[in-house]
Amino acid sequence: MENKTSSTADRELLITKLLDAPVDLVWEAWSHPEHICNWWGPNGFTCTISKMDLRPEGEWNLVLHGPDGTDYKNHSIFKEVIPQQKISYLHESSPKFLSTITFEARGEQTFIKWHMLFNNREEFIHTVKTFKADEGLKQNISKLQDYLAGMRA
Amino acid sequence: MKARRDVYQAIADPTRRAIVDMLATQPHNMNAIADQFEMTRQAISLHVKILADCGLVNMKREGREHICEAKLEALSEVDEWIGKYRKHYEDKLDKLNQYLQTLKQERHGKQNK
Repeated sequence: MENKTSSTADRELLITKLLDAPVDLVWEAWSHPEHICNWWGPNGFTCTISKMDLRPEGEWNLVLHGPDGTDYKNHSIFKEVIPQQKISYLHESSPKFLSTITFEARGEQTFIKWHMLFNNREEFIHTVKTFKADEGLKQNISKLQDYLAGMRA
Repeated sequence: MKARRDVYQAIADPTRRAIVDMLATQPHNMNAIADQFEMTRQAISLHVKILADCGLVNMKREGREHICEAKLEALSEVDEWIGKYRKHYEDKLDKLNQYLQTLKQERHGKQNK
């Protein structure tokens, strides 16, 4: 990551959500590979985690299997791990970005903040642009699923 | 090969982004833009031409001068794709929330047995 104090607003993304579950359960769903694959990928995708060494400098290898048979490899390195509070990881596969997830206990609920910081504006724009193709792919998949459902009916 | 001319290409280059930033506050003529950069006037002129081709800059003649102004509405296309990308992550958190409800029900079920 660049060590600049300048604004990162043009190459970052922040998503927040109030999850309807206590923080210990949210942490469990985040920190165990067998749980992550149940919610990580887009609809129609499955995932395999061959390694998830949840500690600073630990490796994380996750492969998303697309419905068309395409595999998307994701290699990351965990940077910060504070149980029930914070996880950050550096996504080393292209596109490179630093992802920081913070968990805030709010009784029976958990406020989650997901921050993504890309190396530079170029990579960020390139990523959102190539995502366009993935969106199209998803629509195709959903069309195919509808079609198959129609065949079975 | 025909060069790609869209808003992404326009902002893919740091010099072009700096030119857009400069023009966003007020229109400038070509010389005033070139003065701000340590580059030849030709190089700046080429960058401005690409920006114009990409629809991000409008050039008009005033007497002997070429006045350049930014057309920022072209950038909304980028916003749109960022929005779609954001939605992908929002969907992920929605799925996490659904999965958490499943987990809660499973645990609750076990406790009752």
